[in-house]
Amino acid sequence: MAGARGILWLAGAALRADRRGAAVNAVAACVGAAALVLFLALGLGVGAAARRLFPADARLVEVVPARVSLGGVLGGGRLDDDAVARLRALPGAAAAWPRLPLGVPVSASEPAGGLGGRWPSGLALQLPLVGVDPALVADDVAPGAFADPPPGEPIPIVLARRLVEVYDRTLAPAWNLRRLPPGVSLVGVELPVRIGHSIVAGASEARVAPERLRLAGLSDRVPLYAVAVPIETVRRLHREYGKGEPAYGQVTVLAARPEDVPSLAAAVRRMGFSVDEGERATAERVATIVKVTTGALVLLAVTMCGLAALAIAQALSASVRGRARELAVLQALGAAPADVRRIVLAEGAAIGLAGGLAGALLARGLAALGDAAAARLLPDLPFRPESFFLFPPWLLALGVAVPVLAAIAGALGPAAAAARIDPARTLA
Amino acid sequence: MIRLRGVTKRFRDGAREVAVLRGVDLDVAPGELVAIVGPSGSGKSTLLHVAGALDRDFEGEAVVAGTALGGLDDAARAELRNRAVGFVFQSFNLLPALSALENVMLPGILRRPGPDGRIAEIRARARDALLRVGLADRAEAPPSRLSGGERQRVALARALLSRPAVLLADEPTGNLDAASGADVIRLFSELARGGVSVLVVTHEERVSDAATRVLRLSDGRLG
Ligand SMILES: Nc1ncnc2c1ncn2[C@@H]1O[C@H](COP(=O)(O)OP(=O)(O)O)[C@@H](O)[C@H]1O
Ligand SMILES: [Mg+2]
Repeated sequence: MAGARGILWLAGAALRADRRGAAVNAVAACVGAAALVLFLALGLGVGAAARRLFPADARLVEVVPARVSLGGVLGGGRLDDDAVARLRALPGAAAAWPRLPLGVPVSASEPAGGLGGRWPSGLALQLPLVGVDPALVADDVAPGAFADPPPGEPIPIVLARRLVEVYDRTLAPAWNLRRLPPGVSLVGVELPVRIGHSIVAGASEARVAPERLRLAGLSDRVPLYAVAVPIETVRRLHREYGKGEPAYGQVTVLAARPEDVPSLAAAVRRMGFSVDEGERATAERVATIVKVTTGALVLLAVTMCGLAALAIAQALSASVRGRARELAVLQALGAAPADVRRIVLAEGAAIGLAGGLAGALLARGLAALGDAAAARLLPDLPFRPESFFLFPPWLLALGVAVPVLAAIAGALGPAAAAARIDPARTLA
Repeated sequence: MIRLRGVTKRFRDGAREVAVLRGVDLDVAPGELVAIVGPSGSGKSTLLHVAGALDRDFEGEAVVAGTALGGLDDAARAELRNRAVGFVFQSFNLLPALSALENVMLPGILRRPGPDGRIAEIRARARDALLRVGLADRAEAPPSRLSGGERQRVALARALLSRPAVLLADEPTGNLDAASGADVIRLFSELARGGVSVLVVTHEERVSDAATRVLRLSDGRLG
């Protein structure tokens, strides 16, 4: 067989001979590639944004008291330590962490230390505190930083990671407050509060004590609109304020594997509790919508690549018919049928490669335009992504590989026809 | 060197089978210019294609440039054509999209295992070949801007690029005026004197006059 460089030289010469036809087919491949890359990038980008909006952990089952309480009859009902122990013992359950809402009001009327800003005068915020098991947020805080503190020390808190974003995009601009720096640099910030004080007249406790809350970390496992503190701290405050032993508001059960979640949820319901599907169901619905939409668009793009392949097949087979004599001459000069086949395949591959590269670049350009338009036209909502498109390197490689493969597939038939040319008969 | 022994070639025409060549024996030694004459349709081109390893199914024995054709696969026959055989056709058969020089480069481009790293060298050899046929100044011209005589000389330069042992020409002067035809015939004679086995199919007297031997093909036999 003639060498690869010889084949490419000849394929290049053939493409130059019909620049217009080659360009038309490359444009077809380019459109297919651009659509493929753009749609997949959009699916990936929107999917990532949706996961940021609903950071549902596929292994968590949120157990809440039954909505219609037949609990007493069925032996469930109250979420107490006994129920937690039974939940933890369910097959497929790796852990069960109770949540205990604080029954004592807490309010804040000063800004957090170090953050400054203009706290609206007279504004007092009621803070919902909820006690959580330190194991729930073990991955999100420094070891030992989330435990009931000794007297005089600030109470460690964990906030929902998403709360920072909501604050930055809604509360901060509305109240003229500084936006929060992103991520862990917030850790250590302290907020002065008054335990026992309520902004509702008459709802305050007899004893109001100043305290400090200290941010220990951000987590996706704590409620969005609550301040998570160590569950021991809530128990201590309940004792100090004579609140008895209230039931848990919710228990988070961690499944050993995501596949265990359905059977675990069913077992929880048999125990007489409800499963709060709220966020996870929404997350799954959004993820499904994104996947289905992306899938449909990718199918469309693949169809476009297929049409490009058909166009290339049609053009190349006309071209092969038109230059049967030239291909026969090449055989007389020393090309084997396999060489002729490879020349035509190389022509197709070159068209696909040119189209694919142009298409990948075009997709990037269109995505940049789309993001720029979104930045100008959409309000600064929480969770609005910087970009609606994600371009991992594999996507660009795929955007080039698919049109190249489609073009080669389209060239297979014409290449086989070219290899079947009988030089003796053609040159007679 | 060309040696054919008992070469028979049949074409299937529907249900009918026609033997175009019936036991042809032929020897063309290095330095010989052999002309084959015969009426149209007598099988001259067919004989040339067998001798040039372009045809794959025929009966009999054929040895070209020391290589027996029987049993060679497509790739081996292609390689033999590339190294040892030069073709010249009546209709020139230049690739219209390539310049004269690029047309002459083609056998070098098709050289196996490949022209890798030698494109510049092939180009230089192609310029030499154009110089030999007196067309050094027309190297960049496309075939469409060349006269018939110039085109045939480009085709001859192309056939000579690999310094083949065998040159096969199918009615090479059929489309040329008298002067151009004479040029081409003179080049053939030169090549034969240089040791090439030249086999020319023709029905023109001026070609057979230059030949060392003239053979007539009729009824599928040489005589
Ligand atoms: N591929 C083919 N299939 C069928 N018949 C063919 C084929 N090639 C040539 N022939 C027949 O063989 C005969 C000789 O053809 P050819 O060698 O081209 O003659 P010449 O070159 O002497 O004019 C003609 O009758 C032609 O029709
Ligand atoms: Mg003929």
